[in-house]
Amino acid sequence: MYRSMLFLHWKQINIPLIPLILAAYALPLLSVQGLGTPPGMDSSTLEAYRIVAGAQIWLPVFPLLAAVIGVTLALSAWNWDHQLGHVHALSLPVPRWRYALLKMGAGATLALLPAAGLWMGAHVATSFVDLPTGLNAYPNQLALRFLAATLVAYGLLFAMAAGTVKTTVWIISGVIGFFILGNVVTDFLVGYFPVLYRTNLLELALEALIRAPGPLQVFTGNWMLIDV
Amino acid sequence: MNNAIELSNVRWRAGRSFELRDLSLHVPVGSIYGFLGPNGSGKTTTIRTFMGMLKPDRGDIRVLGMDVPRDLPRILARVGYVPERPHVYPALRVEEQVKYHASFFDLWDPGWAQELIERLGLDPTRKISRMSKGETGKLLVLLALSQRPDVLVLDEPTDGLDPVVRRDVLTAVLDYVGERNATVFISSHLVHELERICDWVGVMDNGSLVAELPMTQFKNGIKRIRVDDVDEVPVQLPFTLLSRERTNGVSTAETWIVRGWQDPMRGYFDSVGMTLRDVVDLDLEEGFVELLRSSRPQPSYRS
Repeated sequence: MYRSMLFLHWKQINIPLIPLILAAYALPLLSVQGLGTPPGMDSSTLEAYRIVAGAQIWLPVFPLLAAVIGVTLALSAWNWDHQLGHVHALSLPVPRWRYALLKMGAGATLALLPAAGLWMGAHVATSFVDLPTGLNAYPNQLALRFLAATLVAYGLLFAMAAGTVKTTVWIISGVIGFFILGNVVTDFLVGYFPVLYRTNLLELALEALIRAPGPLQVFTGNWMLIDV
Repeated sequence: MNNAIELSNVRWRAGRSFELRDLSLHVPVGSIYGFLGPNGSGKTTTIRTFMGMLKPDRGDIRVLGMDVPRDLPRILARVGYVPERPHVYPALRVEEQVKYHASFFDLWDPGWAQELIERLGLDPTRKISRMSKGETGKLLVLLALSQRPDVLVLDEPTDGLDPVVRRDVLTAVLDYVGERNATVFISSHLVHELERICDWVGVMDNGSLVAELPMTQFKNGIKRIRVDDVDEVPVQLPFTLLSRERTNGVSTAETWIVRGWQDPMRGYFDSVGMTLRDVVDLDLEEGFVELLRSSRPQPSYRS
């Protein structure tokens, strides 16, 4: 069953996923472009800060690519079932929770492919650069972080994509409504509790999400392939 | 277990536009049950309730003696389903779809699936999106039959198919039933198609089951009779009066459509002072139409 589900998801997503795998492979190579040892020069002549600064330009692209892959995987997971009104899925002799789990597992497995692409690209990229003393390459850690970020984006969107458009609209409206209502209530309570002065619910929520142990922290951490 | 499918007082409502009203339905084990009804009468909705795809507001549903929805996975493992609209993935090839479907069914018979592919003339390498309606219909039947089900649920399986494909599909189904003694629940609005193969019939209209009876009774029990000297129709009749209308404007001569007719009832008319002129057999389609007419709001009388 799991292999069948994996095959089905692969059939759905192979066309958009292959370029994304290639992008994941190419990204580390691009990030070290121009940082190699110039011909006739010793690697020690390279300055560490130039390498780190050069690699930093690409920093936002790694989490962005991970998010794009996660979202693509999640949306494609349910796409065909939505088109068929879920009739085939509902006529299969498996409990619905198990079907959803199989589907989620298949997507998570496919997330390994771009992460593996990035891991290979990162190893190849670091092999091109002679690092001066004090700098280290972190291809394994970067690939792991990339995989984790992809899975987080995939997990969040998978649940939302499983429902109907109506469900998605309800969820998004609920979140927006929560922040609007929350801020109104906070403003009202400031009169009674001055400690709440300048409390922004949206800011608080975002901080909770992106700071450890928030689920989105993985997107904001250290994405450096080469670092001290 | 006498009934393969049993619905008791099922109610399901979709907004204000449509509802199944206290639907009770019994499909005997080993029968071929024809589920008739005009478009929009609730046939597909009924099927979706006992397939566990819709949750009824109230009522009990049992399939193969098991409870829907509690035992749904065990039930679905023994039910082959051909939906009204194709539910196969258009981007897959036939062999890929067969393999995908097979992986969910323990009783899947790969040898028979292969035999059916050849018998139905399907190309295993053909992409489903490029298949004709007839080929897709054959594939759906192949998927349902290769599961080796105890119950086959076919929702308008031959709708829109040409006569050759229709015959191929029905032959494959009947061969399977002959071999396995499976129960078949087949919905259609093509009355003549069901007349040849079904031994039970249920008629739906506007969310209600209008009639449920053996096909022989349905075929032989609905008559058009001409009656003279009709003054007032007695409250108690030995048959069900589906409809009545005056004959050629004669005030005491009427044409009745009746259900549950048996020849010994001829004598009844003398006993109530009426004269029976003649009794005409209706074919299944006429009987079906009269049943629907009688179930809809209009001047009609029932015993």
